Amino acid sequence: MQEIKIERLLPNVFKGMEESSRIRESQIWEVDSFTFKRGCKLCLQAESGGGKSSLLSFIYGNRNDYSGKILFDGRNVRTLSISDWCEIRRSHIALLPQEMRLFPELTVKENINLKNQLDLNKTPAEIEQMLEQLGVADKIDSPVVKLSIGQQQRVAIVRTLCQPFDFIFLDEPVSHLDKENNRIVASIIEKEAGKYGAGIIATSVGNHLLLDKPEFVDL
Amino acid sequence: MMKGLGPLLRKNLSKGQIIGYSAANLVGLTIILCGILFYCDSRNHRKTDDRFFSEDYIVVSKEVKGVNLSPVGFSEEEIRDLAAQPWVKKLGRFTSADFSVSASINMGTKGMSSYLFLESVPEDFFDNLPAGWDFSPDRKFVPIVLNKDYLALYNFGFALPQGLPQLSEEMIGAVPLRLSLSGKNGAFDVFDAAVVGFSSRLNTIAVPQDFMEWANKRYGSGYQSETSRLILKIDLLNPGDSEKYLADHQLEIAGDKESDSKVSKFMGVVSGVVSATGFVISLLALFIMLLSITLLLQKSRSMIRNLFLLGYSPSTVGAYFQKRIVALNFIIACISVGLAFVCRLIWHKPLIALGLGDGNVLFTIGAAILYLILISGINVMVVRRLMLSIWKS
Repeated sequence: MQEIKIERLLPNVFKGMEESSRIRESQIWEVDSFTFKRGCKLCLQAESGGGKSSLLSFIYGNRNDYSGKILFDGRNVRTLSISDWCEIRRSHIALLPQEMRLFPELTVKENINLKNQLDLNKTPAEIEQMLEQLGVADKIDSPVVKLSIGQQQRVAIVRTLCQPFDFIFLDEPVSHLDKENNRIVASIIEKEAGKYGAGIIATSVGNHLLLDKPEFVDL
Repeated sequence: MMKGLGPLLRKNLSKGQIIGYSAANLVGLTIILCGILFYCDSRNHRKTDDRFFSEDYIVVSKEVKGVNLSPVGFSEEEIRDLAAQPWVKKLGRFTSADFSVSASINMGTKGMSSYLFLESVPEDFFDNLPAGWDFSPDRKFVPIVLNKDYLALYNFGFALPQGLPQLSEEMIGAVPLRLSLSGKNGAFDVFDAAVVGFSSRLNTIAVPQDFMEWANKRYGSGYQSETSRLILKIDLLNPGDSEKYLADHQLEIAGDKESDSKVSKFMGVVSGVVSATGFVISLLALFIMLLSITLLLQKSRSMIRNLFLLGYSPSTVGAYFQKRIVALNFIIACISVGLAFVCRLIWHKPLIALGLGDGNVLFTIGAAILYLILISGINVMVVRRLMLSIWKS
């Protein structure tokens, strides 16, 4: 996938608010066209409730309560079949949801394997190395429910990286991390995205991912 | 099945729901299978009880009222109408003798003779022909099949009060008889004869059809009288309006056929009620299962949605549930078949004593397979629909 284009996109909950300053000043909502190009590095900034998670859910096919168009290489996503979406989620778009969506009853290893086994993208050693870098390798056999939110966020990041992708969307990926861990996360993500020539799109409400020379876009 | 998906989904299964579904299904299917097994057993008339006639044959004659000077018989049109009834599989005519017959027994110094009547029915109404059931004028020998009641009448009604010896079937068969046949045309012959078999159903003294045709030609008046009795092979499983037809046409059934038919109907009603009960319980089990699956998947809705977001397809996740439900159904069907055969022990002996039992078990096994396919098909479909509804939600 080379580009993701949005045209006059607006969540249904924002209907009737088209003339508000939040929508008029947005670089995404209701604009004629905005394109996420492969290889891009974007930090999407917005206030809480500005629709960051909604935008990522629309692009990931998780919600469709919007008007306007989302096009993957020119193809309207509303025409995609279930198997198309499964393929996209396995090989083209990676998503780290804000709520992480880990399975609390499973261990760190089981959670990561559940994603990794779809394509066997990473070896156990690679997974362990990433966990090591993020300081949670010792938790590999612990149930996720026993981890702190910050530790869970790091596990969720590793799980998101266990697939090939053309774009990676990260919804407030470092909201519970300190600056040092933020840098480590950013470097791992840039390294992985670099392997595939992929685009990185990370949202934040202030504590943004410390990418190298990102472009900032106001939602 | 993806490794790791199993533990996750298994943790979300409710043991209570699975036990409830299994128990209800097991009880329902076992009752259905018992009903079918009982139905097959109660409809299986074993051939050993009556050596010569199977039980789905009845003999009908017209009702005699007051004093009939002319013989009561069936017209050709009536016979054709009867043969056309859906519950009549085959129809045969009794042929009466058109000549006088007297039988004599020579017991050393004592002799005994009596006038007799003879009838014949076509051979294909016999299940097993007794040995020597043929006739040739050269041999001058006539085989006879006697009604069992006649022997009982003699043994218990006649021999006992008269101080005569009681005789077994084998003994009667060993007694040489002599038949004197005389026609109105003056022809007269003496034949050797012997009772070669007994029938509890054929209420007559039967001789081979070949003999009767030959003898009627030789000794008879040449006038073909109307057939007075008919033997019918009837469809016991689909008796239809046979009772009404017989009553409307004032036909009488010989022997104990009516009670047989009532027993048969009773057995049918019992097995019908048992099967219907099993069906209702199975239907309830099916609803419990549908409810369980729906509740289970609703409870796991958020987990399943998360799996979809990871890239798992509805068919992959659904396959986990479908495979387990089909495997469970298979186990339930096997246990139910086993239980039904255990239950069969309860009625097996009494039915054998009635001359029934040992019905074809393939119907029961076939029903279990059909049930397995049907219920598994419904299960698979329901899981698929629920998966798609979670995907779309």
